[in-house]
Amino acid sequence: MKQILLVDDDLGFLQATTELLELLQHTVVSASTVAEAQKVAAGRSFDHVILDLIMPDGSGLHVLESIKNRDQTRVTLVTGHPSVKSIVKNLYGPNISYLIKPIDLEQLQRLLEDEHEPGEANPALHFGHLVGESASMHKLYQMIERVSQTKANVLLMGESGVGKEVVAAAIHAASKPRGAFVPANCGAFARDLISSELFGHEKGAFTGATHRKAGVFELAQEGTLFLDEITEMPIDQQPNLLRALETQKVTRLGGTNTIDIDCRVVSATNRSETDIAEQGYLREDLYFRLAVFPIHIPPLRQRSDDIPVLIEYFLADFNRQYKANVTIDAKDLARLQAYDWPGNVRELRHAIHRAFIMADAKTQQLVLPDDLSSPFSKVGDSKSVGITVGKTVEDVERELIESTLQHLAGDKKKAAEMLGVSLKTLYNRLNSYSEQQPR
Amino acid sequence: MSSDTQRLLHDVRNPLNNISVNAELGKLTLERTGDLDKAIEIFARIVQECRRCDELLTQLRQQVSADQPSPDATTGDNA
Repeated sequence: MKQILLVDDDLGFLQATTELLELLQHTVVSASTVAEAQKVAAGRSFDHVILDLIMPDGSGLHVLESIKNRDQTRVTLVTGHPSVKSIVKNLYGPNISYLIKPIDLEQLQRLLEDEHEPGEANPALHFGHLVGESASMHKLYQMIERVSQTKANVLLMGESGVGKEVVAAAIHAASKPRGAFVPANCGAFARDLISSELFGHEKGAFTGATHRKAGVFELAQEGTLFLDEITEMPIDQQPNLLRALETQKVTRLGGTNTIDIDCRVVSATNRSETDIAEQGYLREDLYFRLAVFPIHIPPLRQRSDDIPVLIEYFLADFNRQYKANVTIDAKDLARLQAYDWPGNVRELRHAIHRAFIMADAKTQQLVLPDDLSSPFSKVGDSKSVGITVGKTVEDVERELIESTLQHLAGDKKKAAEMLGVSLKTLYNRLNSYSEQQPR
Repeated sequence: MSSDTQRLLHDVRNPLNNISVNAELGKLTLERTGDLDKAIEIFARIVQECRRCDELLTQLRQQVSADQPSPDATTGDNA
């Protein structure tokens, strides 16, 4: 959902386009003159401004001066003739998009879906969304490539912050579908409204259903439905989802006619397969419907080689947004690469954003905080690890080995290297622990 | 082409644009909300914009005729 300012002196266009954008779930503020637009936009932030260039009381571009977050607002000019595009581009630069009359839904959707550079696509991005050149990411790209050629449902698994929605969007882009990418968070649905959100409802189906509403399955027709936090869906609601997936049909609440559905379902969870099975977060039959093609997204600490390219990508993004030229010192880069990033790529982006805001005005370099750790950091988890009075040397050694293995997701070879022991020694220690009482 | 003709050619895109946007709106309204009263209102707007388009095309035809030189003027006194 985006905040949009729409400015045009044609009242018919203004009304219909406002209603159309609202139906597409965006919030729209409209104005028919430059003066009115300046008044309603003063001090407000917008994601997107759609303007008529030539207005009766002046240039539509004057409106931009009133907007709070001008640098982060995308600007689109509505024009009747494509030739205006090149003239305006010379005058106002390349960071302006265009809608050429007569405008249709496809033009509008393309404009609002394209969140990245209005110009050329970023070649560093895989499938237009993913950053990273590590072996684990290339394995992921290979899986995306394979699954994109099929209609199989995908279950994405990975820790919080690894970018599950970004991977889902990459699968959607790689599949080149005709329909839209529709994200929905199963953990955020109100319990009583889950069926309505998924399958839609007819007017009068329940108190408050004043209009017919399409569900996310219908909205994702010929596209991709992304069901985030799928394991948060109450178990008693899961048979309805299972039935829709099995029959490829849905019925709106209060409706009688079935609607054929045709979309790929990509679902995601931050729970492990063991937890899903043992704790019963998902019904077994639903799990197999959703996880036709399961994909594990690696945590950032297992692809620390990607940290520099991710930082470069985030820095370029912030530099473009804020029209700056901030860089990073080699020492800081090494510090960021050594940290374990328990919050994964999300935490790294947040840290770069913070350091960007704190950047030194003279040197134009990022300024990192003294302590990178977040309340969710592994450092916190390992507080019990270490030397305390009363512990034996064997206890401390065992804790160190177990923490190292946990940190490296069980990779014994890397753990042995990190601990400075041979792989054989590590195995000997682990065997001796398994012979002891489990802890 | 006279400036009046150019202006009319430009202006005719506006009702055409409104027909397009309202048609998309009507389609989406029926698909997503099934609100028939709203759909009827939108169809009425489309009809109104068609009339506006027709008026402009009539003006454009008159203007094009006015722009064209009369047969006397082209043949001059040699006819």
